[in-house]
Amino acid sequence: MASRAALLVLRATPPLFSFKKDIFPNKTLIFKQNNRNYAAKSCLEPPDVQRLAETARISLTPHEVEEFAPKIRQVIDWFGQLQAVDLQNVEPAIRADNEGETLREDLPEIFENSNV
Amino acid sequence: MLSSAQAPRLVRSPGLRLRPIKCLHTAQSSPLTTTTTAPSSQILTIRKSLLTQQTTAVDLAKSFLDRLRRTEPQLNSFLYVSPDDAVLKQAEELDNKIKNNEKLGPLAGVLVGIKDNICTSDMPSTAGSRILENYCPPFDATAVRKLKESGAIVVGKTNLDEFGMGSTTEGSAYQVTTNPWDLSRVPGGSSGGSAAAVSARQCVVSLGSDTGGSVRQPAAFCGVVGLKPTYGRVSRYGLVAYASSLDVIGCFGSSVADAGILLHTISGYDKFDSTSSKREVPDFTSQFVGKDYLESKPLKGLRVGVIRETFGDGVDPEVISSVRGAVTHLEELGCFVTEVSLPSFSLGLPAYYVLASSESSSNLSRYDGIRYGNQVLGDELNSLYGYSRAQGFGSEVKMRILMGTYALSAGYYDAYYKRAQQVRTIIQDSFKSALEKNDILISPASPSVAYKIGEKKDDPLAMYAGDKMTVNVNLAGLPALVLPCGFVEGGSAGLPVGFQMIGSAFDEEKLLKVGHIFEQTLQVSSAVPPLIAGELTC
Repeated sequence: MASRAALLVLRATPPLFSFKKDIFPNKTLIFKQNNRNYAAKSCLEPPDVQRLAETARISLTPHEVEEFAPKIRQVIDWFGQLQAVDLQNVEPAIRADNEGETLREDLPEIFENSNV
Repeated sequence: MLSSAQAPRLVRSPGLRLRPIKCLHTAQSSPLTTTTTAPSSQILTIRKSLLTQQTTAVDLAKSFLDRLRRTEPQLNSFLYVSPDDAVLKQAEELDNKIKNNEKLGPLAGVLVGIKDNICTSDMPSTAGSRILENYCPPFDATAVRKLKESGAIVVGKTNLDEFGMGSTTEGSAYQVTTNPWDLSRVPGGSSGGSAAAVSARQCVVSLGSDTGGSVRQPAAFCGVVGLKPTYGRVSRYGLVAYASSLDVIGCFGSSVADAGILLHTISGYDKFDSTSSKREVPDFTSQFVGKDYLESKPLKGLRVGVIRETFGDGVDPEVISSVRGAVTHLEELGCFVTEVSLPSFSLGLPAYYVLASSESSSNLSRYDGIRYGNQVLGDELNSLYGYSRAQGFGSEVKMRILMGTYALSAGYYDAYYKRAQQVRTIIQDSFKSALEKNDILISPASPSVAYKIGEKKDDPLAMYAGDKMTVNVNLAGLPALVLPCGFVEGGSAGLPVGFQMIGSAFDEEKLLKVGHIFEQTLQVSSAVPPLIAGELTC
């Protein structure tokens, strides 16, 4: 939270935006979101559970944040073993592609209730 | 590939022969009902007795409903049970059809349980979550529609881990299902309710869903047959999506024949599921040969590959010895058994959890309190979303959504999600090449037997580790069959061990044929849990 506050202060603020949440609540929210995108680019920072919860639109209680953070960190660290694998020239697989193309013929289909 | 020097590992060693079930029990354990006959297809037995009018559909339904209601307080396998009169009315209609010599569907009179993440229009479908409490879908899933068209009677919706996320059924927002073999243990998950219901004969067969082992692991824990079809064999239309590239609807039965007949009924192309295959669905059970007609080495020439990496650290020694006993039995039936190495095997588990969490974070974004499901009001839209989702989802679901959100965020996508997809390609290729040299691959279905309720609740990685035998099969989209192959000490009558057979894509026919011969020549699979021991089972 402190880092976000620091970034808020450092950014040049146009006169329209105010930090008084009650006057321009929605604009402040948008401003915060823009801020979040700039911060997220750095290489593999550990998960910020509060921020993830806001992105996923789940209102976690502070107790839940405390409870989940170590477990999530533990699992994400475990995911880290994928970094060690040599994956040069390996195509990513979207799914188990047992079938190949599944597109239908490019022909118009008439529906009975087209005038409804 | 295995060199001949390593082959002796698979030669039967003393003490590994499967003993008849009675020898496993000490004097103080309660007697277990055993039969010396192989498990028969309940579906075919029911059909025969209905057509010859030995019994009526109404009497049959009544006896299952009695058993269901009697065992339900201890098992809690159902989230919703159809009212008796609704079930009996369908049974009566069937009896009238029989009297009028009308044609019967293949599952006529068969009581089916459906996992609650599969949509049924006449019953609530909650996916085990509070966010969908009392939600009644406006349509039937294609698999359910096909079941109903075949004459099956849907008796209720079974319990599951919320949205299919979990391996114990403790993650349900409503109740914990117990294992019929030992009521202090988990039935497995996420289709624990479906497995327990078939194990305790509360219904004849049931449907589950398998994203990372959710049909196969509970089948092993509950001592029933679990079948995961090839991805694309069964339509996913109406299955509440968890991870769309991994989900399949699977079957539970008390015998391989029942699982096969059920699979045949629900399989087939569906225009509402663009990932469903247009391939023809063969009659999976047409290759079955009755026990009395089997030659001495009925599986002669079948190449079986035992996956080396599934017998190492972290697997219970008793499970290993039970599965090796099954392998020995396959050798006796004429199979040519070798050991196969899949070096990328251990990568499957983290890759699976990255992919599943990521896809689930996207799939579960639809539960916003607006479209459907329960709503909690907020001052503005984001807080309405936030509160509805916070109160509707359980903690495991929330954690997986958050992990998925992280793995898909800008800057992390390449490091996690894309890498996991690349690992998936490697795993698919390694299975493909192993299945060129072998007809089927074998592994334990789970590294342990059913553990105690509450044992793994607080340690996510320990719980995830239990899925290592099953997730690779979902990543590769292959079919797999889990059968009981033995018991270990535990509970009052032993705890079941299951072994897994993996086949090539769309080759369920071969898996079922091998499974059928295996089960017909090995009596252990005919045991029933002590909860219903001593009763007549139809």
